Amino acid sequence: MIRRYYRIYNTLLRVAIGEALQYRAQALFWLLSAVFPLVMMVVWLAVEAEVGPALGWSATDFISYYVAAAMAQRLTGASALWNWQAEIRDGTLSLQLLRPADPVHHIVAAQLGWKLVDLTVVLPLIVIATWLSPAISYPVGPELFAAAAGSMLLGLVLNMMMQSAFAMIAFWTTQSSNVFGLVSGIGQFLSGYIAPLALFPEQFRQVANLLPFRSLVSLPVEMLMGKLSWAEIGFGYAVTLIWLAIFTLIYRLAWRAGLRQYEAVGA
Amino acid sequence: MRYFKLLAIFYKNSLITELEYRVQFWSNIGLSLFWLAWASVGSGVFFFHTDQIAGWSYHEVLVVVGLFFTVNGFRQMLIQPNLTRLSQYVQMGTLDYILVRPVNSLFLVSLRNIGVHNWGDPLLGMGLVCYAFLDMGRAPGGPEIALFMLLLIAALLILYSLNLLLQTTTIWLVNIERADAVAWSLLEAGRYPVDFYKGWVRSLLTVVVPVAFLTTFPAQALLGRLDNWAALVAPVLATVLFVVSIGFWQFALRYYTSASS
Repeated sequence: MIRRYYRIYNTLLRVAIGEALQYRAQALFWLLSAVFPLVMMVVWLAVEAEVGPALGWSATDFISYYVAAAMAQRLTGASALWNWQAEIRDGTLSLQLLRPADPVHHIVAAQLGWKLVDLTVVLPLIVIATWLSPAISYPVGPELFAAAAGSMLLGLVLNMMMQSAFAMIAFWTTQSSNVFGLVSGIGQFLSGYIAPLALFPEQFRQVANLLPFRSLVSLPVEMLMGKLSWAEIGFGYAVTLIWLAIFTLIYRLAWRAGLRQYEAVGA
Repeated sequence: MRYFKLLAIFYKNSLITELEYRVQFWSNIGLSLFWLAWASVGSGVFFFHTDQIAGWSYHEVLVVVGLFFTVNGFRQMLIQPNLTRLSQYVQMGTLDYILVRPVNSLFLVSLRNIGVHNWGDPLLGMGLVCYAFLDMGRAPGGPEIALFMLLLIAALLILYSLNLLLQTTTIWLVNIERADAVAWSLLEAGRYPVDFYKGWVRSLLTVVVPVAFLTTFPAQALLGRLDNWAALVAPVLATVLFVVSIGFWQFALRYYTSASS
């Protein structure tokens, strides 16, 4: 069992990394187009200049937060929904079904490969930026870096399963990306990508803490910034794992139902 | 006159095609409305902590957000489906077919298609502007509205001209998709008044990439607090950019070597 998965992923990952390496410049290019978090950061700096220490967040906090948030968003970002949707719509899923490994492994391995290549571009940039700029600082020990890295990896897997669950809608209607667009739009608030959750009203934060979106951005970033106790980190991991289980279950059930429904287009 | 007739035919066609998909049509409106609400709430987060940012209240910021939707919607409806495709025409060699037609080639290249997906954005954006004014309990006077119209036209003209300048380089560079994406992600900065940005970023957004002319200045005109210099510079800048970009297009066409022959 384990050996079989090892062989599947060994092969699929190699292919994915090879593919992703062809597009390495794209990761660099992303950096230039990540204007939105930058805009939000600058506005917060203006607010900070207006309000002063009463805000509870310093300019350094905001800069460190948004740099880390942009990175986390990049590393936990997935495209599984669009991959599934294309396969179901065009009927290329039929081909995938003939292969020995379940189609989900192709999608997961492809994303992991891309992320590994992304990492070789994003990580050095972050290290250099942190080293050069005194305004960016993550005052935590190696164990918290490890916790944040693990949380980002889990976040990526959670995002892939969440998208897979929503992608199954494509078996029944063409609106799956619109539905997920709404969900992820709301998720951008709840994940802390738009603004630090700490600056939202208390009730909002309590809800956000229980939903899956925080795992994608805010949770690892809060760890990096030393804002969480180990108990809170454990809670965050638990929430991530529970949602991962829920979405995996939904996706598998919908997948079985969907396959019965599937009429291979073009075959 | 002939050109208007052509436009009417082109756009009627696009609209008929779009209306074939009723669900899609309505869900696009729903999505536009959702993203408008998204942007309004997103701007509201700052105002949990302060009443004013750099002299702008929440409602005044909403006027800018509404204009951002209007201008961006215009870009998605008219610029993206047309000028942005120029590099495809050059790559595939289909620009030849456009050049040999008995109509002005720039007209075809810039107005042939219309992106009906986003037709709600400009309307909803202006709706948000109206809402912001209603909620403030004030209304702009006649002169303010006239000045605003002038600045909005200038803004759209500036946006068009900058696009034409950028896209025309495709005649030489062939593939500029990435440069295009970077340039237009800068437009994101126009979500908020340029006063929010400090130092060199603000100068950059006013002088080098004139984002300030696209949303902030028209909003200020409507709010009745536009600087005199901006009211003068905007129409001049728009005219100059427009003339220069058209000149650049005609100049570039002389260097166009077809891909197919």
